[in-house]
Amino acid sequence: MRRAALGAGSALLLLWPFLVPRYFVFLTSLVVVNAIVAIGLNLLSGYTNQLSFGHAGFFAVGAYVAAVLTLRAPGVPVVATLVLAGLATALVGLALGIPCLRLEGLYLAMATLAFGFVVVEAIQNLDWLTRGNDGVAVPTAHLGPLALASDAAKYYLVLGVGALMVAAAVNITRTRTGRALLAIRESEIAAQASGVHLAAYRTLAFAVSAFYTGVAGGLFAFVVGFISPDAFDVFLSVDFVAMIIIGGLGSIPGSVVGAAVITLLYDWLAAFQNYRPLLFGLILIGCMLFMPGGIASRMPKWTQQAQ
Amino acid sequence: MRTLLTTVLALLAVLGVSPVDAQTPGVTDVEILLGGSNSFSGPLAFTGEQMTKFGVDLYFRVVNDGGGIHGRKVRTIYYDDGYKPQEAVANTRKLVEQDRVFALIVPQGSPPVVATLGYVETQRVPMLFPYQSSPVTRGKKYVFQGMTVSDRSSRMMVDHLAGQRKHKRFAAIYQDDEYGKSFLTAFEKDLGRHGLALLAAESVKRGVTDVSAQIAKLQAAKPEVLFLVLVPGPAAQALKERQKIGWKDVLMVSTGPLTDERYLALAGDAAEGVEGLSLWPDPVTSDLPGVKRYREHMAKYFPKNEPNRYSIAGYFAGILFTAAAQRAGRTLTRDSLIASLEGLKGFDSGILPPLTMAPDHETQKQGFWVRVEKGRFTQVTDWLKSE
Repeated sequence: MRRAALGAGSALLLLWPFLVPRYFVFLTSLVVVNAIVAIGLNLLSGYTNQLSFGHAGFFAVGAYVAAVLTLRAPGVPVVATLVLAGLATALVGLALGIPCLRLEGLYLAMATLAFGFVVVEAIQNLDWLTRGNDGVAVPTAHLGPLALASDAAKYYLVLGVGALMVAAAVNITRTRTGRALLAIRESEIAAQASGVHLAAYRTLAFAVSAFYTGVAGGLFAFVVGFISPDAFDVFLSVDFVAMIIIGGLGSIPGSVVGAAVITLLYDWLAAFQNYRPLLFGLILIGCMLFMPGGIASRMPKWTQQAQ
Repeated sequence: MRTLLTTVLALLAVLGVSPVDAQTPGVTDVEILLGGSNSFSGPLAFTGEQMTKFGVDLYFRVVNDGGGIHGRKVRTIYYDDGYKPQEAVANTRKLVEQDRVFALIVPQGSPPVVATLGYVETQRVPMLFPYQSSPVTRGKKYVFQGMTVSDRSSRMMVDHLAGQRKHKRFAAIYQDDEYGKSFLTAFEKDLGRHGLALLAAESVKRGVTDVSAQIAKLQAAKPEVLFLVLVPGPAAQALKERQKIGWKDVLMVSTGPLTDERYLALAGDAAEGVEGLSLWPDPVTSDLPGVKRYREHMAKYFPKNEPNRYSIAGYFAGILFTAAAQRAGRTLTRDSLIASLEGLKGFDSGILPPLTMAPDHETQKQGFWVRVEKGRFTQVTDWLKSE
């Protein structure tokens, strides 16, 4: 059952650009980008119970590193650009993660929230590098001789990276590291008693989460083609948190579904103009009331990864 | 697995041979479909809603009730982008590719508009009258600028103040983005023509409301005229700060995009005596025939909505589109619309001075001088020249 579904799903994803209009290819790319962020955030929040309201900040760092790198050094292949975007963001994640070790719950949420504002402020003020509020038009990504200009090309890039990131996340959760993270979520004291180095793993979770979000930010810059500080406000961070809560904390399939739901809701609700925020809020409240464990808790058993 | 692949391939084949229709998108026998991404949430939500629903749509209701354009009714779709560029890109693509709109109308704000310019040009979709003042829209075949571009505003302001009124000492406080910087560059250039230069210029980051430090520094430079290149919040703050520190011997002058009623309301009595360039006749009090018609239409279709600058800007966009589509005739295509817009000569809307569109694709080229008296803008000069 599981294999058949996976096969059919992969075939559908691979053929997707030939099946649907361009706009849906673009939209699907955005869903995958958001899914990568949601997985990254879930590794942090779902596995080690550290809630972050600053992931728009990491997302922005990744997007700007990728954009500026492509502008300054057009010859760098896109894969290297994305890895660098991820690594740079992971460093920022470390820098934020270490001082945040002492913080928990609401205080951690506040610190990460502030981090999101700091990043936007930094982008606005480093205008020699980021062009400030005016934003950056992101050049086309190159993979060797290939220019990834069409929606389909960008989609395959996003899909390939997305698949790698999902596979990596599934593997992390199944290794010693993953079990250590889960142990921390269940009980920090018990985890420590079993020899889990709390500070090291919590910091690691921060860095890995930032890496995921940075890579996604880089992809976002290429898919949308234009970035400005306005794109990365605090509401984007809230959307990311909404994705993993709707999808299901600690679940990778849930992260993907949550990202899809939120991204498509935004697309669909744009037509309601002034009522958009109201409807969005009502739908989220509805989801929380009827599916408190997230969509993942209602998905068939075979979709759950072994833990 | 194999059956699945066969099905998918069969589907592909079917899709592959589906005929591409040669008809102009968004134009049928009975309808013209226009669309736009705009702010319905976020910092410019009020402007966005007024411009679209109570401006563009107001005029199209009048047109549709009068039988439409060559028998076609005009319909509009708007999507909310909340002033975010990525959502403007998504919305614009959805409008062009899914809804297949004929043209895009009154998108708002520099970041969302700039983010979509490249796409619009490659898709050859007319972008009509984007509501933002930076010159980035210049030289684009499919874009017709909506708001007066900053360098034209600057020329009118400097020629009036330095040319006619012989002021010599100028300074500026500006928002640190495309809007502010494009004005600053233009001021330097135009003052240079009069053999003058800016004595001081202080920047304000977007979203910041405390401008006391900047005002103190500018006061030290002793300018006769201080240009305010800001948005309503910080501009009102600048006026209040000036009042607080008792800085009297300076003339505060607001740029075109700033000169609106919202800014006056925020500043209260600190706005008294402020001057500025107005890009629109007063929507509430003007006796111009077009403005009177606008008020009558507003009273008829949306009696609860107060007349304001944003809805009149949208209403004017509706007038221009209708005039161009009328001239283009029954066979309306995107290129015939562009040609028809470019061919508008001495077009009289009754709201702005007669408009000739070619060769610069700009719909608003003039403004007039106003002074705030008893909380309202009073007209001081006739339309100023910007050529």
